[in-house]
Amino acid sequence: MKKNNIEGWLFVSPLVIWICLIILVPIYIAFELSLFNVKIIGTSGKFVGIDNYIKLLGKSKFLNASLNSLYWIIGNAICQTFFAFTIALTINYKFPGKKIMANWIILSFIIPTVVVVVIWKLMLSSSSGVINSVLIDIGLLDEATGFFSSPNKAFLSLVLINSWRWSPFLALIILSGLNSINREMYDASKVDGANFIQQFFFITFPNLKSVLFVLGLVGTLLSFNIFDIIWLITKGGPSSATTTLPLLIYETAFTKFRISQAATLSIITSLLLLLFSIIFIKSMAPKEDD
Amino acid sequence: MIKENNIKFIFLSLSLFLIILIFFFPFFWIITSSFKSPEEIIATSTTIIPRSFTLEHYNKILFNSDFFIYLKNSLIVSFSSMIISIILSVSAAYGLHKLKFYGNKFVEYSLLVTYAFPGVILLVPIYLLFAKVNLLNSYFALIIVNVLFATPFAVWMLKAFFKLIPNEIEEAAYIDGASRYIVISRIIVPLAAPGIASVAIFCFIISWTEYLFASILISGDNLKTLPVGLAGIVGQYQIDWGFLLSGAVLASLPVILLFVFIGKYFVSGLTEGAVK
Repeated sequence: MKKNNIEGWLFVSPLVIWICLIILVPIYIAFELSLFNVKIIGTSGKFVGIDNYIKLLGKSKFLNASLNSLYWIIGNAICQTFFAFTIALTINYKFPGKKIMANWIILSFIIPTVVVVVIWKLMLSSSSGVINSVLIDIGLLDEATGFFSSPNKAFLSLVLINSWRWSPFLALIILSGLNSINREMYDASKVDGANFIQQFFFITFPNLKSVLFVLGLVGTLLSFNIFDIIWLITKGGPSSATTTLPLLIYETAFTKFRISQAATLSIITSLLLLLFSIIFIKSMAPKEDD
Repeated sequence: MIKENNIKFIFLSLSLFLIILIFFFPFFWIITSSFKSPEEIIATSTTIIPRSFTLEHYNKILFNSDFFIYLKNSLIVSFSSMIISIILSVSAAYGLHKLKFYGNKFVEYSLLVTYAFPGVILLVPIYLLFAKVNLLNSYFALIIVNVLFATPFAVWMLKAFFKLIPNEIEEAAYIDGASRYIVISRIIVPLAAPGIASVAIFCFIISWTEYLFASILISGDNLKTLPVGLAGIVGQYQIDWGFLLSGAVLASLPVILLFVFIGKYFVSGLTEGAVK
C-alpha cells in the first residue's frame, strides 16, 4: 500500500501530542526536581546535582523495593500465565454455557480495584473470612490464619489477588491468538497421531508468539505499575515486605513529603522500565510481514 | 481415541469447576453478604447460604451517605474520558493502520511502551504540573490522566477491526469522488462500530476503576469519585462491613450494566484476532 506521510501523521498527531504533553512535560519536571533538594511542594530547594541519585542508589529501602518489584513481576507472571492459559484453553472448547462464560469471565477485571480489595479483605479476613472457615472445615488448617500478617503470606496473597483480577483479561487476549490458529493444523496433526498435549506444545504455543510478545511486554509493565491493590490491603507492610517501587515513590512523596527524592525515584524507575522495554522489543518482536 | 476424549472431558470439567469457584463465587459471596445482618457478616462461623436478609446497608448508603455525589462525579469523569479517548484513538488507529506513513511502526510500538510511563511514576510530576496550572481539584485533571491510560491499548484493539475493512471499499469510494471525511464517517466508522464499542467500554472501565490519581489530584469531598469514596471506608479502623459491601456492589453496578449491553463487543474485540 502506498504511504501517506503527511495525512498519516495528521491523524496520529492529536493522540501523540496529548500523550507526549502528559508524559514528557512531567518527566522533565521530575528530572529538574531530582537535581534539587526540594522538601516541601511549592518551595525551591538548593541545587544538589546528582547527589539525590547517589544517595538513593545506596539506600537499603530502594534495594528492598526493587527486589520486591522484581519478585512481584515474576510472581504475577507465573500465576497469571497459569490462570490465563487454563481459562483460555478451557473456554476454547465447546461446552454448554460457553458464550456466557466467555463474556462474563472478565467480571473481575471490569469492577473497580477497590471492590477487588473489599472482596478479598472480607473473604480472607482472619476473624470471619469464608476461606479460613472452609480451610478449617476440610482440615487443611487447625485455626484461622492471618493471610496478611506475615511477610511471605502477605506477598503471596497479594500476588494471587492481583492475578485474580488480571488473568481473565489476559485469557481473552490469548483466546484471540488461539482463534487465529488454523483449525486444519489440529486435524492434520490428529491424523499423524498427536495427542492434545503434543498439540499444545507444537501447534498452539508456537502460534501464539505475537500474542505472547504483547502480553510479555504490556503485562510486565502493567503488573509493575500495580499500586492500589497493595496499598489498600497492606500499605506495603508487614515490615516493608510488600513495598514495591510504586509504593515507595508514593510513600516518599505523599506521606514523607520528600518531593525531590520521590522525583529521583521516578526517574530511575522510568529508566529501568524503558531499558527493559527496548531490550524486550529488540529481542522478542515478532517479524511482521505486512 | 475414546480414552483421550475421556481425559479431555475430565480436564474440562475440573477446570470449569475451578474457574467458576475461583472467578465467580466471590461475587456470589459479596452480593449475598451485602444483604446479611451485621452480626452474620462478622460471625466466625461463616454461612454459605445466608440466614438473614436485610436492606439496612443499602438504606444507609443510598439515603445516609455521599454515594450519589460520588456516583455523579464518577459518571461525569468516565463518560468524558471515554468520548475523548474514542475520538483520539479512532483517529490515530486510522492513521496508523489505514494510511501507513513513515514511522508508523515506531509510533505503534511507542504507544505500547507508553504503558511503562503511566501509573505511579508520573504521579509526583503530574501532581506538581497540575498544581502549577491550577488543574488540581477538577474533573479535567482526571480526564486528562484517564485518556492517557486508556488510549494506547485502545489503538491496539482497533487495529484488528481496521485491518478487517478491505482497502478496496475505500478506494472505490475515492474513485466515486468521496472525500476523506465522507469515507471515514460513512464507511470506516460504521464498519468498525463493534471495535469502537469495545474501545468505548475499555476506556469507560479504565476511568471508572481508576483510584491512584483520583485520590491524589482531588481533595475536595464534593469532587471525589466512587473508588476514592469507597477506599475511605476500607481504611477505617473499624470497618462497617455491611455498609462497605453494599457500596462495593453499587459501585460495580454501572460497569456491569454497561457490560450487559456492549460487553460482547468488548470480548469479541479482544478475542477475534486482535493480533492478526
